[in-house]
Amino acid sequence: MKIVVCIKQVPATGADKRYTDDLRLDRAAAETIINPLDEYAIEQALRLADDGVADSVTYLSMGPEQASEALRRALGMGGDDAVLITDPALAGADEWATARVLATALDRLAPDVALMGMASDDARGSLVPGAVAAMRDVPLLSYGAELKVADGEARVRRLSATGYDWIGAPLPVVATVTDQVGEPRYASLKGIMGAKRKPLETWSLADAGVSSDALRGAALTRVTDARPPEDKPPTERIENLPPTEAAARIADWLAQRKLV
Amino acid sequence: MSNDILFLAEFAAGRPARSALELATGAAELASESGGSAVALAYGSGAADGAAGLGAHGAARAIVVGDEDRPAITYAPAVVAAARDAGLAILAPATPNGRDLAAALVGSLDLPAFGPVRAARLSDGALETEQATLQGSVVTTSRPADGAPAPAVVLVLANTFTPSEGGSGSAEVTEAPAAEASALTKATVVESHEAEAKVVNLEEATIIVAGGRGVGGEEGFGPLRELAEVLGGAVGASRAAADAGWIPYQLQIGQTGKVVKPSLYIGAGISGAIQHRVGMQTAEHVVAINRDPDAPIGEFADLFVVGDLFQIIPALTEELRRRKGG
Repeated sequence: MKIVVCIKQVPATGADKRYTDDLRLDRAAAETIINPLDEYAIEQALRLADDGVADSVTYLSMGPEQASEALRRALGMGGDDAVLITDPALAGADEWATARVLATALDRLAPDVALMGMASDDARGSLVPGAVAAMRDVPLLSYGAELKVADGEARVRRLSATGYDWIGAPLPVVATVTDQVGEPRYASLKGIMGAKRKPLETWSLADAGVSSDALRGAALTRVTDARPPEDKPPTERIENLPPTEAAARIADWLAQRKLV
Repeated sequence: MSNDILFLAEFAAGRPARSALELATGAAELASESGGSAVALAYGSGAADGAAGLGAHGAARAIVVGDEDRPAITYAPAVVAAARDAGLAILAPATPNGRDLAAALVGSLDLPAFGPVRAARLSDGALETEQATLQGSVVTTSRPADGAPAPAVVLVLANTFTPSEGGSGSAEVTEAPAAEASALTKATVVESHEAEAKVVNLEEATIIVAGGRGVGGEEGFGPLRELAEVLGGAVGASRAAADAGWIPYQLQIGQTGKVVKPSLYIGAGISGAIQHRVGMQTAEHVVAINRDPDAPIGEFADLFVVGDLFQIIPALTEELRRRKGG
C-alpha cells in the first residue's frame, strides 16, 4: 500500500508577509515552515508505515525551489522519497491550478492513498483535496480524526453533527486528516542526517505531465486588492474592580450595543 | 450562461441548515444585482419536502439533488450536473460538507474558487469577493480572471448574510438533471456513533460563550452554560479544552474546529492564540475575561475584563437575570 502525502510550504505563523506589486504573496520573502496541518497528515502516514500497513510514503509538494526544504524536513520525520514540482509558470497558482497540477502528478505516482492536511495555514479554502479527488475520479474521505486502511478499503473517523461516523471507500482515495490524529513526531538528528540521502526529485510542469496551456495562466481568479485589516476601535479594559462592579460594567456595555 | 446565483442548501434531520437560509437571502441579494434568480441546490434528509420553503428566504427556484442522509460528497455528481453552465456564481457554506461539494465543483468543472469570503457583491456585472487571509493579517479583494468559466464557486462564512424573514414566497421546485457516474459516490457511512450529550451547531449560534484552558475542567463549564442560557447563546471552547476532554470536539472553535461569526463572542480563560483567533475573529463583538492582563486576546477584544472568570461570570449571569426581572 502506497501513500503520497501532499505538503505545502507556508510562511511561518508569525512571519512578516508581503504581497508583491502584482498582488501575489511573496513566497520568497518570509521565513517558511511545513504547513502545520500537513504535519498531521505526515504523522498519520508514518503511523501507517510504522504499523506495516503502508509499504512506502512519498511526499509531494508544489512550490518555489526552496520548498525542497519542507520536503527535506518531512523526510527527516520519516518516509522514503519526495517530489517537488516547481516551474516559473506556477507563480500565483490558485486552488484550481494547484489541484490540476497535483492531480496530474498523482496520476503519475499512482498512490493508494493521497493524503493531505485539512487546510492550509495561509489560504484556508480547503478545496484542493476535493478538487484533486474529482479530477482524478477517486473517492474523497475528508476531515478524518483517524485514517485506517485494510482489505482494499480506507476509512476515516469524522465528526458528525451529533457524534462521529466511520466513512469508508474503496482504494485508491484522496483523504484528509485533522489535528486529532495525534501530535506530529519530531525529526531526530539521525532522521535529519538520513533525509539528506533520500531521493528528492524535482519536476517541471512538463515532467509532471501538465501542459502550460491547460493551466490558463495558473489561475482562474485574480486578486485586485490586498490591504491590512480595518483598524478596530481600541480595546476597552476593565481592571481592578470587584466582580459585581465588573459584571455591572459588562452588562452596561452589552446593553449599549443592544446585545442583551 | 445565465445571470442566476446558485447556492447549496443543506438539509439534515428533516429541516434546512441555517446556512441554507442565509445563502438563500445572500443569493437573492446578488441575483437582484445580476438580473437573475436565486436557485437552491437542495440535498440531505428533508430536502424534497423543504426545498419550496426556501422561497420564504429569497430562493426563486429549487433543484432537489437528493433527499437522503448520506455523506454530502456523494451528492457531488448531482450538484455538478445542476451547476454546469448555470449561472454566475454558486454559494457554498464554509463548512466541511460545503467545502467538500465546492471542491468537487471546482475539480469537475474547472471553476474559479473564492473564500471563505466575508462579503460578496457584483461590481460592473462581475462577482467581487472579500476575504481575510494569512491568518487575518491581510484582506484581499478578488474577481474571476478574464474569461474564467462560470459559475464561480464561493465559500461563504456563517452569518455573512442574515436570512430574510416573513417572506411567504415558495420556490418553484424543478427536477435535477441526470448526473454522470463518479467515484465520489463511493463513500459510505460504515458506522455511526452518537455522542452522550446533545451538542448544538455552533455555526448557527448568534451568541457564544467560549471557555479555554483557564476554565480548568469539565465542571468549570457550568458557569459558562448558565451565562449562555441567560444570553440565549451557546457554549463553545478552545482546542485546549476540547483536547482535555472537557467538552465535545463539535464545540471547538478555531482553525481546526468551527469558524464562527456570532454577533457576540465572550471568551473566558482563553488566551487568544492565533489558531483560536482565526475561528472567531469575524465576530461582531468580542468580550474577553482573563486573569492575565497580558493575554493576547486582550489585544483584539473589544472589551477586555481582567479578573477571575469564576467570580465575574456568575456575577454577570446574576446581573443579567436581575435586569431581565427574573
